[in-house]
Amino acid sequence: MSLLSFDDVSLDYSTQGAVLSGIGLSFRRGEFLTVIGRSGSGKTSLLNLAAGFLSPSRGRITLDGAPVTGPGRERAVVFQDDALFPWLTVRENVAFALRLSGRPRAERSDRAEALLAGVGLAGQGAKRIWQLSGGQRQRVGIARALAADPAFLLMDEPLGALDAMTRDRMQELLLRVWSDSGAGVLLITHSVEEALFLATRVLVLAPDPGRIVIDRAVDYGQRFLDGETSRALRAEPGFIALREELVDAIHAGEEANHA
Amino acid sequence: MRDTRHMTLLTGIATLAIVLTVWTLASTRGWVSPVFLPSPLQVLKAGQLLISQGYAGSTLGAHAAASLGRVMAALVLTALVAVPVGVLIATSPVGRGVLDPIIEFVRPLPPLAYLPLIIIWFGIGEPSKILVIGLAMLAPIAISTAAGVRQASLGQIHAARSLGATRGQVLWFVLLPAALPQILTGVRIALGAGWTTLVAAELVAAARGLGYMIQSAAQFLVTDVVIAGILVISALAFAFEVILRIVERLFIPWASHR
Repeated sequence: MSLLSFDDVSLDYSTQGAVLSGIGLSFRRGEFLTVIGRSGSGKTSLLNLAAGFLSPSRGRITLDGAPVTGPGRERAVVFQDDALFPWLTVRENVAFALRLSGRPRAERSDRAEALLAGVGLAGQGAKRIWQLSGGQRQRVGIARALAADPAFLLMDEPLGALDAMTRDRMQELLLRVWSDSGAGVLLITHSVEEALFLATRVLVLAPDPGRIVIDRAVDYGQRFLDGETSRALRAEPGFIALREELVDAIHAGEEANHA
Repeated sequence: MRDTRHMTLLTGIATLAIVLTVWTLASTRGWVSPVFLPSPLQVLKAGQLLISQGYAGSTLGAHAAASLGRVMAALVLTALVAVPVGVLIATSPVGRGVLDPIIEFVRPLPPLAYLPLIIIWFGIGEPSKILVIGLAMLAPIAISTAAGVRQASLGQIHAARSLGATRGQVLWFVLLPAALPQILTGVRIALGAGWTTLVAAELVAAARGLGYMIQSAAQFLVTDVVIAGILVISALAFAFEVILRIVERLFIPWASHR
């Protein structure tokens, strides 16, 4: 049982002042956390702290009680701009973590093909990155992260650049990946509906300084996996009411700032 | 797109034809003395003689091989220094502070300016010649490598780190591959600089080499050999350019797909 904890964490940038302030968060393996909030509310900073790309200015981040001092493969990251390696084939991209840890070539190749099949890209391993569509690239990015067998999968708006149709299918893929891998997923999105549909827990961040204003348990993603349809779930009065509440929370204080 | 390429090719061939025609007319009609400008045919004959009998003690093949060897040795040795230098400039503030001024100091210097100093320090042997050529190649490769290393996106570096890469692995598996297209561009520029410097390097105490052959011929006004030598250098440089393009297409296919 892995646990990633934020204990009263703050982050200051010398240029902007406080980016995040007083973040307290317990994130367990198996949870699907979605993070929404206006731009400037520190969503990406929160992910970068969890990934170990940034260090907190105050407070502590721990993984199973041990302080997080940098990035590590138990916290694999999926990026908005895919951040794939164009000098490698699709298969080699997926197998990157295994190459770093020195696994034999045959094992790397088998595992990569299996992971590619898992994200709907069976048999595409020999292709080059530039031969793939945006949606396919994100699938490769997810498979590459899964190859590290991470306890946590940190995703920074991975569906942000995709068209609506692709996005719907990718959401279902994310739920299946989450359920199959058993990893804890932290996903940043600017779509409230996406956040609500996928999560077991929705976090809303408010800016100036970034802080958690809503931390709400939901179960639509689990119910989708249990057989209910996406359309029916999204049309439920409860879903719609919660969506409106989250939208209000995100935009609260916006007028005051502009005045 | 295809039409313009066609057009460029046709214009290129036409230009070449016109130059050859004017050159032929100029020498056969006596517009210019054959001593100063031998006809293309005369140059061709001189070339054949160079291949079979040679000039200034060696055949054309031996001269070309000597020059080629110097340029290649300089390229390999310089790359071994310049690529790490470029990586240090791009990745380490201290490395940048130490190396950037040195590179910027060497970069604009004409080889003829530092040639005497190198001869005073290292003598007139082969190492001096390779060093002169190599110095001219240092800055292009180092600067291109530094620029290339910066082509790796922060996302790519972060991705590798979060998948468990050590700093060394980030360098080997991310920064260097990302830099390869630019390194190759640097090599291309460096080869140009190398051929440019070749004649200067062979000014002193050379017994063989295209630059040496050209200078020996020039002293006795053997203009056809001079021109033949120039054409051979040009052909060799062009061949390298073609080879590098093939290497890029085969081994660095992502260069055109960033």
